[in-house]
Amino acid sequence: MANIASQRIKREFKEVIRSEEVARCSIKVELLDDNYSQLKGEIAGPPDTPYEGGKFLLEIKVPETYPFNPPKVKFLTKVWHPNISSVTGAICLDILKDQWAAAMTLRTVLLSLQALMASPEPDDPQDAVVARQYKGFPEIFISTAEHWTNIYAGGSRKKEEYSKKIERLMGIGCNMDQALVALSGCNWDLDKAIEQIFG
Amino acid sequence: MNRKPTTASSSNSLPTDNSKNNGDEKDKGDQMFECNICLDTAKDAVISMCGHLFCWPCLHQWLETRPNKKLCPVCKSGISKEKVIPLYGRGSTNQEDPRNKVPPRPSGQRAEAETGSGFGGFGFGDGSFQVSIGIGAFPFNLLVSAFNFTSHNPSDNQVENDRGPVISKIFLFLAFALVFWMIFGL
Repeated sequence: MANIASQRIKREFKEVIRSEEVARCSIKVELLDDNYSQLKGEIAGPPDTPYEGGKFLLEIKVPETYPFNPPKVKFLTKVWHPNISSVTGAICLDILKDQWAAAMTLRTVLLSLQALMASPEPDDPQDAVVARQYKGFPEIFISTAEHWTNIYAGGSRKKEEYSKKIERLMGIGCNMDQALVALSGCNWDLDKAIEQIFG
Repeated sequence: MNRKPTTASSSNSLPTDNSKNNGDEKDKGDQMFECNICLDTAKDAVISMCGHLFCWPCLHQWLETRPNKKLCPVCKSGISKEKVIPLYGRGSTNQEDPRNKVPPRPSGQRAEAETGSGFGGFGFGDGSFQVSIGIGAFPFNLLVSAFNFTSHNPSDNQVENDRGPVISKIFLFLAFALVFWMIFGL
């Protein structure tokens, strides 16, 4: 890896470790290899959002051309969010694409992702199904996002009704992820979800 | 650099002893002169019009990365090679930089200080007038005064009065000759 990239990640790593956000347990970074090209990030779900109480893991890949090009970041934890793919975890955020600037750091990227979780941009979606729900059925969106946070990220809020519907689908041969995606995408309409899976 | 890992100085951080606090302050002092791209102490430092500090090799590489959209990496204001100012510290001229495979950083632009004295009428006509008077009259006056000096004897007064017009005509001729030489000789 280019010297400047690994040198910079080393410094940023220290910066994150010393930052206030770490003291508040709001962001965290871990090294996955010795040459500073693979990292694991963790952000806390922002308060007063459906993601509150959850811990979201991120995969961070640092390119050789870093910091002149942005790091490649995606969610490892499944999230129900208009700008994050509910299937792959891919993120639609301008600073991770064309709006990247070389002075941005791991810390600012993680904080930006937290900000994105707190204020979705449904007009520039990564997951069109989620974005449609966010705009058309905001209450269902919130409860769905809470349910996802409960299942995958350790949040405390969930709906018993949703859990029962998932169990029903699992009873007829679906796995949990499949059932959750189908039900969430159909606004928790069981018949539509069954049709979507088996139709 | 051997920086001690220190905790952030927020209200809920662990209590730190005095030596660690001093380390923090020192770190903060260093950070003021860190390049905003490599986060190291800026080498071949340049500063943008928006006031952000970079190593020239780092900034050059950033500008090369997106040649169509040259923005400050910190505040995203417009930036260009012509509009960055190099910072020259004392005794730090042209030290070899390991990343020196880029064009030299742009040099500083020197402007002469404004003097504020009356250079007002430095027009073409004025200038040529002054020059012709100066060169034409100077030897003439000098020779006249030299002549006066040699004939301080009162008895020569008459001779001097007779010779005066002749000599002045000769010098007038010389003066015209000089002027002609200046005009046609150039």
